[in-house]
Amino acid sequence: MKHAMTFTALVAASLMLGISAQAQDKQQLAFVVNAASDFWKLAEAGVNKAQEELPNYEVQFRYPAQGTAALQNSLMDDLVAAGTDAIMISSADPANSIDAFNRIAAQVPLFTTDSDAPQSDRIAYLGSSNTLAGVQAGEEMVKALPDGGKCMGFVGFLGADNAKERIAGFKQAIEGHNIELVDVRGDDVDFARARTNVDDVLVANPEITCMVGFYSYNPPKIYEALQAAGKLGQITVVAFDEDPVTLGAVREGSFASTVVQQPYEWGYQGMKLMAAYLEGDKSGIPEDGLIIVPTKVINAENVDEFEADLKAKIGG
Amino acid sequence: MSKKDTGLLVLILVVAAGVYLRNPLFLSPNNISNTANLIGLFGLFSIAQGFVIITGGIDLSSGSMIALLGVLFVDLVGNKGVPWPIALVIVLILGILLGLAHALLITRLKMPPFVVTLCGLLIYRGVARGYTGDATAGFPFGSTYPGLDFFTARVYGVPTSLLLLVVVAVIAWVVLHRSVFGRYLFAVGKNEEAARFSGIRTNLVIGAAYVICAALTALSAVFFAMYTRSVSPSSQANFYELYAIAAAVLGGFSLRGGEGSIIGVVLGAILLQILQNLVNLLGIPSSLNFAVMGTVILIGVLVDQQLGVYRAHRRLVEAARETAD
Amino acid sequence: MTLSQSATGAPAPAAPAPAAAEPFLRLSGVRKSYPGVLALDGLDLEIRPGEVIGLVGENGAGKSTLMKILGGVTTPDSGTIEVDGVPYAALTVGGSLRAGIAFVHQELNLFDNLDVAANVFIGREPRHFGVLNLVDTARQRAAVLPLLEQLGANFSPDTPVSKLSLAQQQLVEIAKALSQDARLVILDEPTSSLPIAETEKLLAVIDRLRARGIAVIFVSHRLGEIERACDRVVVLRDGRLVGKLAKDEISHDRLVKLMIGRELKVIYAPPKADRGAVALAARDIRTAAYPHHAVSLDLHGGEILGLAGLVGSGRTELARAFFGIDPIYGGTLVSNGKPIRIAGARDAVEHGIFLVPEDRKGTGILLDLSVAENISLPNLTAYAVAALVSAERERGQAEQSRSQLAIKVPTVDTRTGSLSGGNQQKVVLAKWLAMAPRVIIFDEPTRGIDIGAKSEIYRLMRALADSGVAVLMISSDMEEVIGVSDRIAVMHEGGISGMLERDQFSEENVLLLAVGKPVGSGRNVQ
Repeated sequence: MKHAMTFTALVAASLMLGISAQAQDKQQLAFVVNAASDFWKLAEAGVNKAQEELPNYEVQFRYPAQGTAALQNSLMDDLVAAGTDAIMISSADPANSIDAFNRIAAQVPLFTTDSDAPQSDRIAYLGSSNTLAGVQAGEEMVKALPDGGKCMGFVGFLGADNAKERIAGFKQAIEGHNIELVDVRGDDVDFARARTNVDDVLVANPEITCMVGFYSYNPPKIYEALQAAGKLGQITVVAFDEDPVTLGAVREGSFASTVVQQPYEWGYQGMKLMAAYLEGDKSGIPEDGLIIVPTKVINAENVDEFEADLKAKIGG
Repeated sequence: MSKKDTGLLVLILVVAAGVYLRNPLFLSPNNISNTANLIGLFGLFSIAQGFVIITGGIDLSSGSMIALLGVLFVDLVGNKGVPWPIALVIVLILGILLGLAHALLITRLKMPPFVVTLCGLLIYRGVARGYTGDATAGFPFGSTYPGLDFFTARVYGVPTSLLLLVVVAVIAWVVLHRSVFGRYLFAVGKNEEAARFSGIRTNLVIGAAYVICAALTALSAVFFAMYTRSVSPSSQANFYELYAIAAAVLGGFSLRGGEGSIIGVVLGAILLQILQNLVNLLGIPSSLNFAVMGTVILIGVLVDQQLGVYRAHRRLVEAARETAD
Repeated sequence: MTLSQSATGAPAPAAPAPAAAEPFLRLSGVRKSYPGVLALDGLDLEIRPGEVIGLVGENGAGKSTLMKILGGVTTPDSGTIEVDGVPYAALTVGGSLRAGIAFVHQELNLFDNLDVAANVFIGREPRHFGVLNLVDTARQRAAVLPLLEQLGANFSPDTPVSKLSLAQQQLVEIAKALSQDARLVILDEPTSSLPIAETEKLLAVIDRLRARGIAVIFVSHRLGEIERACDRVVVLRDGRLVGKLAKDEISHDRLVKLMIGRELKVIYAPPKADRGAVALAARDIRTAAYPHHAVSLDLHGGEILGLAGLVGSGRTELARAFFGIDPIYGGTLVSNGKPIRIAGARDAVEHGIFLVPEDRKGTGILLDLSVAENISLPNLTAYAVAALVSAERERGQAEQSRSQLAIKVPTVDTRTGSLSGGNQQKVVLAKWLAMAPRVIIFDEPTRGIDIGAKSEIYRLMRALADSGVAVLMISSDMEEVIGVSDRIAVMHEGGISGMLERDQFSEENVLLLAVGKPVGSGRNVQ
């Protein structure tokens, strides 16, 4: 009798262990970004929301130690080695990471976001079209300057794909409307230099009547420089992304509008897309492999609603 | 003012004249004011670095310290509602504590300054990033804090950062070139062992240099934070210590220690900011920013060195002519 | 004065010594001046194969200028240099090497991270494997081995130079010279850092070089060795050749007289009063280098105590312990009857205990600081008004020191690194004398200093002692130890092996105690 009890206990214990061990074997999804910024915090919120709806999966959100493609690629290698089942990445330099992408794609499903690498074996791209976003910004500028004007652009990395596409889209949209993008000044994501660039343009280029902030931190710097020079409202500004200062400026009317991406959607939809894919459902993948989440224009009319929605998403 | 300082001043004037001829707006009041502000910002922690370099050491952690203390300051005032004078004191004390840590590791535990401050560079930025979870620390839109605009104010167009730089530079000049402590710094930098054999408490002297450096860097961290109004811990002041080291080297500081001039390092900081300014003013593509800086510095130092060689040669020739008679 | 032709002695088996002693190197009317200084004033010199020529002169007499001209580093203003009969206005470095001139400098130029063979062939390494250009270490070794044998070296070509003693390193330099087919080897102060036993060996090596038909110029302040080793001696004073002495004419007195132009008597100057109370005493202290020996020593005011011993006997370690540079393990230091703690040099200085260190240029003075700045350094706050240094006060003290110690320097703002060794030592002394010394420790005070300055320093030490200061003089120069001290303590392997009173002073007694043997007549300390 005694032995029977011990035996049953042992079997029960091993069963429980077996079940819990199996429970550890949830499939893992990873979202890898290229920099530390509030922009990606929204994506992280989207990813966390998706986790609530994907109880059978474990989602991770990873920032590399530095925003270089090399570190991102080795991060992905480590993730795959640790058992990650699908990865979505916003690469710092997709054009030069084709080999690394292919290596990863050969082992797990790989998706891109924010910056695409169409020549690689990635399954699909989910994000904005930077070109279309640039076009939207250009159209906003045309609306705000019916008589035309000379614009100066400000960006972080002049050579980055997303910067180049936005600038190209912008130029495309202002074509023929008597608006010129005179130049784009780069600051390599040095906030002090970003601010100095605007100050210097205000001094050196009095002919400038409009400005564009292409990266998310550029518009706040434009705002602060204009404020310090007492020129708020005298220069028309179109912005990208949703820094609180940018939204405040839109609300108070100093900025014409801002074109926001929807990184929350990238995180949220991206996780669900990868989960579906792992379950064999490829219906979400279009033929050209491009899932474009449209960018939105935020102006004085819809800024309050937008901000409330943002708060809900990040808070919740 | 030494020959070297004069040479640097001449280089500055030549570059400034050149830029002015290409774009007279270089000397417009707004531009002078803007550039003066940057000179104040960068000059402050360049002087800080000078104190450390003169002992034969180096502080690679300046940029990361500016990031960490800047993040803390903005977070305390903007998010936690701490009155800014208290936040300022907290940040300064923290900076001094970090400087003390450097001092102890270097003088008591005999670790090389390069290694200690390199670890500082890595650790401080990492802590800054961890503190905010990699988010940017910023003030809420439209927030104002009475008195805090001191750090960005301009008195008749003269930025407070420049005024502070002038005050600090004068004090630093007196300390380094006229005081007992300054003499000790030079002696320790030239030959630490001989200084010890003359009864100088070398550990105290070297330690003090690192504390001074950290304190001044902490002060400039607050200025930078107010200039950018939002601090991204991963990118704020990235590699700025190189600006400080470059300014010091341009200003006659030897990396082996024992040589340097406060006037020189301030002139060096001025030159570096003028070079940054000219890239924007002359519409040179932003990508060439550092290429322009490096080229002008190289040519300037080369010309200065060759002039020195030529002058020394002339002296010898003349002296030989005299004694030959 | 006549020059006796010294024919080379026994013909060397290998190198052919020319029968007729024709000079292969001749300088005529060589003149060189620098701004404000006439370094050489029309010098004539002939060098024959197999001659050992002593070159003697005070610092600043022109010796180093002469050597620089021979080495092709400096060009003379006028005069000719004839090499094998071909006249040149000046030599280049390459030309000097081709002429067979080699130098062994006082500060050796060896790489202590390489072995002997690599050092001998540095820059001229034998290569093999053509394109790959790898060093042929076997050939290198084979070439160096016979050279070392010829010099009587007791180490192999594979030995890392860092493991060799100073004397052995000198042999490596000489081997290097031989491997370059030197016809003239110039030895610059080769014995000033050597202990006695090694000096003998070096003199033997010079004999071997002579036997091989190689000429040697032997530059030294050690007049006794000059007497023994040289065939003739050339004396320089103020850039001029003031004396040429043949072998039989060489004598200590004559040399000194020629060098300084006056008679010099190195006489022991007795103290003016009896020795005073104990100013500083070590009671059973142990240093880190010699933890097994407890050292006790009394330093009396008014007395010059000489501290003798072989290299490595622990004298410098004792001095550093007194001065607080190194910590002591066990025992106490007693100052004026009270036990004290000396944790660093600053503590020692505050107790009036000063050190004139062995390494003058490294730790005695700061080369790049001016004379005035060096003098004020240990006591800088005394020259300061409200923490700012008063240049007036500083200069005032410097001028006072300058005249008190007769420091030869254009101005007190001159960079100390440009002074001669003797004057640099005076600056070291001046900085301590400007404070109130109770105890001064001298570690090898006159190394590398010419005779004139040496006697001045001895006079200063005597005056110090007579004013009540306790003077401890560490010295490896037997003449100096015996000629200057009131008493001698001898150290052996970290402990004090014996004390000698004046009536027991002799080279023999000092050496006996230095090697740890008891002295016949005299007290022994365990």
